[in-house]
Amino acid sequence: MTDPIIIDMGIVALTGALATIGGAAEDLESDVGSQSNPNSQVQLAAQMDFPHRIFNKAISGEPPAYGLWCASSAVVASVMLAKGMSVLFALAVGSLVGAILLGMFAVTAHMGRTASQSRFKQPLYMDMVVGHVPAIIAHGYIAVFCIVSFSYIMNAIMGHPFPLPLLALFWGVTAGAIGSSTGDVHYGAEREFQNQPFGCGLNASYSGNIVRKGEAGLRNGMDNVWACAKFGGPVTGLALGLTVFLDNWRSTIFTGANAEWFAIIAGLIIVVILILLNRYVEVDGRNAYGPYKEEEEGGAPA
Amino acid sequence: MTDFISLFDPISIILITIGGILIGLGVHFIPVGGAPAAMAQATGVGTGTVQLAAGAGLTGLISAGFMYSMLGNDGLSNIELVQVMLSGAVGAMIMISVTMFIGQLVYVYCVGVPPVSAKVDKDPITGDIQDIYVSKGTEGHGIPTVSFVSGVIGGLLGGMGGSLIYAILMNAGSPGPIESLLVGPSPATIALAGIFSAGVFYVNAVVASYNIGGTIEGFHDPKFKRVPKAVISCLIASLLCAMIAVPIMGGL
Repeated sequence: MTDPIIIDMGIVALTGALATIGGAAEDLESDVGSQSNPNSQVQLAAQMDFPHRIFNKAISGEPPAYGLWCASSAVVASVMLAKGMSVLFALAVGSLVGAILLGMFAVTAHMGRTASQSRFKQPLYMDMVVGHVPAIIAHGYIAVFCIVSFSYIMNAIMGHPFPLPLLALFWGVTAGAIGSSTGDVHYGAEREFQNQPFGCGLNASYSGNIVRKGEAGLRNGMDNVWACAKFGGPVTGLALGLTVFLDNWRSTIFTGANAEWFAIIAGLIIVVILILLNRYVEVDGRNAYGPYKEEEEGGAPA
Repeated sequence: MTDFISLFDPISIILITIGGILIGLGVHFIPVGGAPAAMAQATGVGTGTVQLAAGAGLTGLISAGFMYSMLGNDGLSNIELVQVMLSGAVGAMIMISVTMFIGQLVYVYCVGVPPVSAKVDKDPITGDIQDIYVSKGTEGHGIPTVSFVSGVIGGLLGGMGGSLIYAILMNAGSPGPIESLLVGPSPATIALAGIFSAGVFYVNAVVASYNIGGTIEGFHDPKFKRVPKAVISCLIASLLCAMIAVPIMGGL
């Protein structure tokens, strides 16, 4: 007879794994479609007389957008589950509905945003719409499926009291917040400005001067996701996976037997460890890079 | 008519208002650099105030919901209320710490900038010199220790406020103790309490973010002195929210 705690830990690990994949896909979807804070530069580029071929759909922040896709998917999945459909089928079809909504959002948001910039001579490339939207839907589908799946596991197997759509809404908002805070910095501070000196952030005077030429031809959202999949996407997955895993772990392992205080103390210990790890990384960064020195040759090419 | 008035339970309304003020306060502690931080142009996490605060607060709400279901289906004692609030606070703190730590990894090992604050010459916690590390044309970058600790405090206050609101609304919406003991709170009550808590959270986060105006590095930032204004605004906003939410929950 397997100890129930082992099965519980397996379930917690599964939620963490799903969250890791979902977080990575969420960040990469926002890189293909350029949705989030780095998109301010894509929007600004056309206004600074740098027309480009980067997909632009940021009419909403990632957290509310992902809250909407995940909640919509979870509602469809809940209805199908209530009708007696199989779990995997219901989750898959629910996520498909969320992904189609995301596709519709991507097309209308991109066209609307680009049309509003016609006075700056920013063209609307139809081949980009046709080429990028399937990639956006595909990444979005993986992200939404994973988020709704671990929300379902929390609701149906771990016994969380929130209904599935509410859990999916909350985790969708959290996934969007994490994606927008971690992986998008790779896209915004590094990939968009590879034409600037490395290791000093972006000088405000170069705002809008994003890289517009790709490894071959003109750069687009596909080129950006190719680069961001090497660091930004995986670390976003790590962040969401860690959040879901650590929070569920301490809530699950210390259930019953008046161990609630241990759940709180375990959480506080995790936070203290993260503060110390952050300090280690801070000192490492300061020692590695040293104080700021201006380059003798002068700044970046215009 | 008497029944209608009795739905406005003053203690619940006061506690929800306190929860709202805690959220508004917590948002001021969270180091957010907005769009400039996403380009390593400002200190803090590269996203919006409301986005990060809501992400942390809702994670806290999920933890608090878990804890409430373990403790409070037959009503909460005072110590259990503290446990639910602390569980929510710890959930929010874990989310925000993980996010800031992974964000820091991106700043240091991907963008290649040392974490530095442009608002103070020395980090008030570690004593590290800051100004010489600030790159030209930026207002700092990354998440120095003082901002990280400030963010953790923000998660604590935000998570605590959100969980307090959830617990009070659940208490207001639960049936009598005997029915609760037998069947527990209905799913409709849980869903409504959850979504109302998220709503009050968003209202206070948005009110506070107007006060912040885009970017704040943490409690050492001069903008932090604007907190009293936010407390008054959040008090009024949360009071209005509570006066709508409590009778609805009580009337279920």
